[in-house]
Amino acid sequence: MALFINVLTQVCITLVAVCGIYVLTGLTGMFSLGSAAFMAIGAYASGLITIKLGLPIIVSFILAILMAVVVGFVIGLPVVKLRRDYISLVTLGFGESIAQLLIQMNYLTGGANGLLGIPRKVKWPIALASAIVSITLVAMFKRSKYGRQCIAVKSDELAAEAMGIDSSRIKMIAFLLSCALTAFAGCLYSFYMGYVDPGIFGWKKSADWVIMVFFGGVNSLTGSIFGATILSALPQFMRSLRDYRYVVYAVMVVLIINFKPNGLLGEWELTPTHIKETFKKIKNKFNRNSKES
Amino acid sequence: MALLEIRNIYKNFGGIKAINDFSLVANKGEIHGIIGPNGAGKTTIFNTVTGIYNADKGEIFLDGKDITNLPQYQITRLGIARTFQNIRLFSGLTVEENILCAFDFMCKYNLIGGLFPTKLRFKEEKRARELCRNYLEIFGMLEYINEKPENLSYGNQRKVEIARALMCEPKILLLDEPAAGLTPTEVSELTDLLKYVSKKFGFAVLLIEHRLDLVMSICEKIHVLNFGETIAVGTAEEVQNDPKVIEAYLGVEE
Repeated sequence: MALFINVLTQVCITLVAVCGIYVLTGLTGMFSLGSAAFMAIGAYASGLITIKLGLPIIVSFILAILMAVVVGFVIGLPVVKLRRDYISLVTLGFGESIAQLLIQMNYLTGGANGLLGIPRKVKWPIALASAIVSITLVAMFKRSKYGRQCIAVKSDELAAEAMGIDSSRIKMIAFLLSCALTAFAGCLYSFYMGYVDPGIFGWKKSADWVIMVFFGGVNSLTGSIFGATILSALPQFMRSLRDYRYVVYAVMVVLIINFKPNGLLGEWELTPTHIKETFKKIKNKFNRNSKES
Repeated sequence: MALLEIRNIYKNFGGIKAINDFSLVANKGEIHGIIGPNGAGKTTIFNTVTGIYNADKGEIFLDGKDITNLPQYQITRLGIARTFQNIRLFSGLTVEENILCAFDFMCKYNLIGGLFPTKLRFKEEKRARELCRNYLEIFGMLEYINEKPENLSYGNQRKVEIARALMCEPKILLLDEPAAGLTPTEVSELTDLLKYVSKKFGFAVLLIEHRLDLVMSICEKIHVLNFGETIAVGTAEEVQNDPKVIEAYLGVEE
């Protein structure tokens, strides 16, 4: 049971972060290899504010998220003007430099040993509630004019501009929302684990998230959530296979890109219209089969 | 005051003069045709007017306001909408969402409405969706409202693209070869539609087209280009008899 609750909490925290990646990569088509750095900012800032200043957790969460958004804005200024592949490079450099900074700023962050003594206040109900809230927010965002504009910009930036969409602004909004969500995941993480070390916030973490989004379906929030749940829960249950995780990931990515380039669920979402359509399809198939036999 | 006034614009790409001293004055309700052989600089004019390219020289006024070299999205917001030569619909969105996108800059809710189900959001979304149905109905496309654009036929994709441009509530509509790839029946259908909507909504239309029958039948004024230069301006009869136009299209008799 303890293992299950541990896994559940960690999956929920990952889900919050993956919501952010979905907004960035799934909706807007920007590939970031530095998203984990915003999780680091959230984790360290919230931890430090509570430890050093003694402020209540809620306040430190809000301040940490704000800080990540401000940093995100500064990084975002060049990022939103760039082409896809260059965005990955800029964010990769930024992410790695944040990880280095955390190691070098010994006096504040505890360096490579990590930051210890954060109160372990986040239990599974908080994590679960946070995941549900984040998913709902992102679902609302996707259905709004902002979500539409994000998809339009991803699909054809020139045509989007010709329809009066300020693509830089839309990309910035998506980028900042993504920063806020990943930072929130970081806050949850540090107050769940009780300590943070800079090692886990490298580009591998960001790449993990991107893989999760692609695995489930890059155009579908349901798919991204599904992918994140499976890919973050499985390694926890199969500890012995943990070291081979990246081998499994690599094989999976190759298979998915080749056979299901839109991910397992494609564009399917857990909405009444999509469910109805699926039912219709199954029914039609069933009818056809029974007619043939 | 003219609705759209293009004053002597120039655009070079390296040594190539894509637009050489092009001027145009369009008023409300007029339909202007721009014709010319391939590579004459027709699409470049559209791209310069809509802000994809910056003009090297010259000015463009919309309703008396200087819009030369403004960013693309601002020009659209001021009232110039366009379609593209190769259809550019958004592939991740349905027909309805494609059209809604063009209205989103006029949709009055902010990021709070984007994340939470506020009253204003529902009101604005409803208004936008009603408008969208309206336009789709004019084009007889209501049955495809939830379809993905890539599943539609070429002719229907064209209609969706024009409907999307209308959703920007333009003062001027720029159509880049709207009849390309359409069958003769579809072309005559499109011609009637264009006449109808331009009268109904009272905007000016600039039209690039290779099919001369379409241009001759609906355009009040025709600009003939060749190698970036304007070689003739006038009504259909005037340009048809212009020796320079005949030369550009058919060559000179030896």
